[in-house]
Amino acid sequence: MKIIKTFALGLTVAAASQMTFAADSGFDLKTVDPEADRIALQNYFKARFPESEISDYVNGIYAVDAGSREQWEELEEFPPYEFDVEKGEELFNTPFANGKGYADCFENGGIGIRHKFPYWSKEEGTVKTLEQEINECREDNGEKPLKWGKGEIAQVSAYMAWTSRDKVFDVQIPADDKRALAAYLDGKKFFYAKRGQLNLSCANCHVQGTNIRIRADLPSPQLGHVSHFPVFRSKWGALGTLHRRYSGCHKDSRSKPLKPQTETFRNLEYFQTYMSNGLIANGPGARK
Amino acid sequence: MKKGLVIAAALALAPTFVAAESFQEAFEMNRAMYGNDHVFDWNGGKYHTNHEEELEARVQATKTNAEDLLAKANAKNKEVAELGFEWKLTGGILKDAQAAIDEGDYQKALDLAAQAKYHARIGIDQYHYAQKNWHLSVPQ
Amino acid sequence: MRKLTTSLCAAGLMAMFTTAPAVADNHADQIALGKAVYMGKSRGNCISCHAIDDPDANLAGNQGPPTVAMKTRYPDKRKLRAQIWDATKNNPLTIMPPLGKHWILSEEEIDAVVEYIYQF
Repeated sequence: MKIIKTFALGLTVAAASQMTFAADSGFDLKTVDPEADRIALQNYFKARFPESEISDYVNGIYAVDAGSREQWEELEEFPPYEFDVEKGEELFNTPFANGKGYADCFENGGIGIRHKFPYWSKEEGTVKTLEQEINECREDNGEKPLKWGKGEIAQVSAYMAWTSRDKVFDVQIPADDKRALAAYLDGKKFFYAKRGQLNLSCANCHVQGTNIRIRADLPSPQLGHVSHFPVFRSKWGALGTLHRRYSGCHKDSRSKPLKPQTETFRNLEYFQTYMSNGLIANGPGARK
Repeated sequence: MKKGLVIAAALALAPTFVAAESFQEAFEMNRAMYGNDHVFDWNGGKYHTNHEEELEARVQATKTNAEDLLAKANAKNKEVAELGFEWKLTGGILKDAQAAIDEGDYQKALDLAAQAKYHARIGIDQYHYAQKNWHLSVPQ
Repeated sequence: MRKLTTSLCAAGLMAMFTTAPAVADNHADQIALGKAVYMGKSRGNCISCHAIDDPDANLAGNQGPPTVAMKTRYPDKRKLRAQIWDATKNNPLTIMPPLGKHWILSEEEIDAVVEYIYQF
């Protein structure tokens, strides 16, 4: 009986994998279709939480859980990130030793451009993130780069996000550079692959496990994940960047976590932000 | 008996499934049900449920043996790190094993090195599994 | 341990009386270990996903089914052990970590958890 069961299971798995490969669903460079992925993800969450508006997913778990939403709305009445936005504005407008400033490094003087990140750079052949360019701006002007996770980099990023609120994400994957699609696929693969001693994928908690309690915590939906970063997290008692959160999440699977701004994490951000195309930038945000 | 039938059925249905239950499957099922140091039958032979690393730790608890196994464990962990699938606690276990050697507790060092080596080996398996199966959880 | 018990039994009736509580204590110790593993964040942390009707359990999660009617659900205790050892065997996508296969818990800790939850 045991043997029959094992055999049957093996056969089912084999049949299933043959089917999925045949179904042309975008698991390799030939078939990957970001727009189909984005729509499939929206449909998944529509089916799971029919009451929630897609546009509300920028508010994370509070888009799908009425209970915690109330507490969060109270929190947002006196936003805990307010000080950081002010500090970020001050830092943003303080000239470097050479007299130049952040405004000189970015399009439109760095105002209202958060939603254009990350983007694919054909010249450099890699995904560029906002925090990465903040530090490049500093180094190009003879300043020391900032630490990636928290503090000043998060504050500058928060101010830039603040000036971009309500702008719509529209991440592009240029068709004339196959490497861009490869970066997207790499991010997608990272998101769905099980890893670490606990054998968890990002999707385990943030797709199938969304809004189901892990102890007292409710994992957020992956749709809208990036929109509100940098984030003031009550658990941190401070503002932090998206890649700080990535490192923490990665560690939660009991993997040795990658460092912020490594290629894999930038690819993950590229994939995740593409998933949020059509949603608005609403950073900085506040989360439990 | 039944097993023969199943194998015949497997051959008829899917020629790629030669055996209904591979050794790996039999090993894992028995380890899962009975833990270590259990003896089970498979294809007419007797086998035990110990991991290869657990057997590697069952040598004389000497400094040389502990250092040998620790070196193997370090190498294995490097291998899994290169694949991007190193586990969080393995580095610490390897350090603890070295500390045990320094303190002269060679059995402890052997046991820790065995665990770290096992973690690294399973991490490598996990990487290969992920390459083939990551797509299964993508919403369609 | 079993050998030890047998020899003590053979030694005489008095010895048997004194041994019986010792065996019970062993089982109680095992259940206490199982409970510590079930509740402990850096151990099994089963409580993070599985509610259990133990007065000491608080803020249980619900990613997995509650730990109830274990004897009915798993008449064969070995099958329950196997499920804890590697839940991906039956469901490759499960969020439940393979506690034995990934050597998150020791085999003794898994045995202890089985004994603890088999009471519920």
